[in-house]
Amino acid sequence: MNNLTFAGIDGIIILSAFAVIMLVIGYFSGRGDKNIHESLSGYYLAGRNLGFVALFFTLYATQYSGNTIVGYAPTAYRTGFPWLQSISFMTIIIGVYLLFAPRLYVIAKRRKFITPTDWLTYRFNSKAVTLLSIFLMLWGLGNYLLEQLVAIGQAVAGMTGGTIPYQVAVIAFILVMLAYEWMGGMKAVAFTDVMQGIILMIGIIVFLIGGLYLVGGNFADVTRYIHETEPVKTGVPPLDVSINWFSMLLLVGLGASIYPHAVQRIYSAQSERTLKHSLARMAWMPPITTGFVFVVGIIGIMLYPGLDKAGSEQLVGLMANDIAAINPFYYWIMIIFFGGIVAAIISTADSVLLSFSSMLSNDVYGKFINPNASEHKKVMVGKVGGIIAIIFLLWIAWNPPGTLYEIFVLKFELLVQVFPAFVLGLYWKRLNGKAVFWGMLIGAIVAGALTFTGIRTVYGFHGGIIGLAINFIICVVGSYLNPASQTKSDVEEDITAIKVKA
Amino acid sequence: MKNEEIKEPIRKKWIWIFLVLNLFSIVPWYFPDSAVEPFIFGFPLWAFISTFFSLVLCAYLSWLCITQWNIVEDEEEADNVKGGKK
Repeated sequence: MNNLTFAGIDGIIILSAFAVIMLVIGYFSGRGDKNIHESLSGYYLAGRNLGFVALFFTLYATQYSGNTIVGYAPTAYRTGFPWLQSISFMTIIIGVYLLFAPRLYVIAKRRKFITPTDWLTYRFNSKAVTLLSIFLMLWGLGNYLLEQLVAIGQAVAGMTGGTIPYQVAVIAFILVMLAYEWMGGMKAVAFTDVMQGIILMIGIIVFLIGGLYLVGGNFADVTRYIHETEPVKTGVPPLDVSINWFSMLLLVGLGASIYPHAVQRIYSAQSERTLKHSLARMAWMPPITTGFVFVVGIIGIMLYPGLDKAGSEQLVGLMANDIAAINPFYYWIMIIFFGGIVAAIISTADSVLLSFSSMLSNDVYGKFINPNASEHKKVMVGKVGGIIAIIFLLWIAWNPPGTLYEIFVLKFELLVQVFPAFVLGLYWKRLNGKAVFWGMLIGAIVAGALTFTGIRTVYGFHGGIIGLAINFIICVVGSYLNPASQTKSDVEEDITAIKVKA
Repeated sequence: MKNEEIKEPIRKKWIWIFLVLNLFSIVPWYFPDSAVEPFIFGFPLWAFISTFFSLVLCAYLSWLCITQWNIVEDEEEADNVKGGKK
């Protein structure tokens, strides 16, 4: 997305305006609500009181990041119609939510959970499981955050034609993000997500309209052209592509639904009604988000044939330049669109950071270092810890290690290993902590090793999924061989029961 | 609230059977190589069918959320009516 020469100073104006709006929203979300800074649930879960609009948009803006546009359009360009999978793998996330969110919501409300770890600690009562899951989740979140930080800089530098250099851009937007998050916690994150989500939605729609305009308005011509020049991209995918598609459904569905920040959105819902209505709307978002971006990528094949991999990564920038040249209306819309990409990245980064901080506050500090600290102090530790983590990640982003870079790529692969403990634990009383621990550990090692060695997929299945399969097997076999002690069954009865007193 | 009034998706097998069938219809493993033409709305035949089932998935999941999930909603909403004092 470099050399977006169409923007420059106008881009700076729009970005500054966005930054100011975010700060104002952050200021007003925190003002007058003392509870935010005095309690963990106030700061990290918006007092468990997010209404429909805020909850829907925070789910949306967090799930779809800048990469959804900037990364997925080039992928569609390179792979052609098989990239339709991006619609289904984003939709299936809601299906996986249905597997565990209804029950988890009830238990979390009743037991006042703050982080996903709270559930695991409550369910398994095992230090080993708690520590390992904290480690896997923090690692995944940290890398996810790193990715967003790198993306913010690229997007802003691209948009302003290099007027704002990469590093200044990153620092400026991180300061904005830290400021509103400090002031309003989850409430600020959710309310800014409303603004960021709306800009993102409008941006994608206008971008699609502009793209269709460039190819003369007829998508059928585009397909015909691709079919004649690159029939592989319209042809029926070979079997290994289909297997890979399945694997993506599993990896993204299972991984994205138990991202700690995703789980905390379940905790934050005001009511079951709010939660299920938000998720019902979310189920329709993939066609109009990744679906539209897919069409944009396909259009790109006709507009800019023959780009290599590096060239295709610039697709969104190339296209935005051409759309901006149509007329002044499109010019300004494209600038807003690029602001929207920046907003989308920040709306994802802020949620990930908040989740990261909450785990430092509640899990690392609150469970292991100083359990008797006041909630105010715990919140403070999380806030400051989050800032230190950001500084460390920035240092890595700017001084990328030469050889061990893969360490910082692992995210889904590791995170998804928490899934069996998390979901199987909800329904299967027999599942015990020891089996969960070894399943998680070995699953993570296998997934990590496959990624490290560059094998990535086996017969089209991702390393994370293979690790997860082993993890599941260990959990199930281990629980049968080593059943939980009888005395515990009463407790577990209570844990997995969902009946609640009003 | 009586137990039988609780609706929880995990307890209904048919939900998951249809879901898996739906996924198997989306992934284009079952098409012959010739399923490219005709183009429908600019989509190759296989892609059109796959997209159709992707939209079915959206509709299905959205419908499930609204109709097959009701655990504490009635209590919560009743509390709300009382002025949220509970």
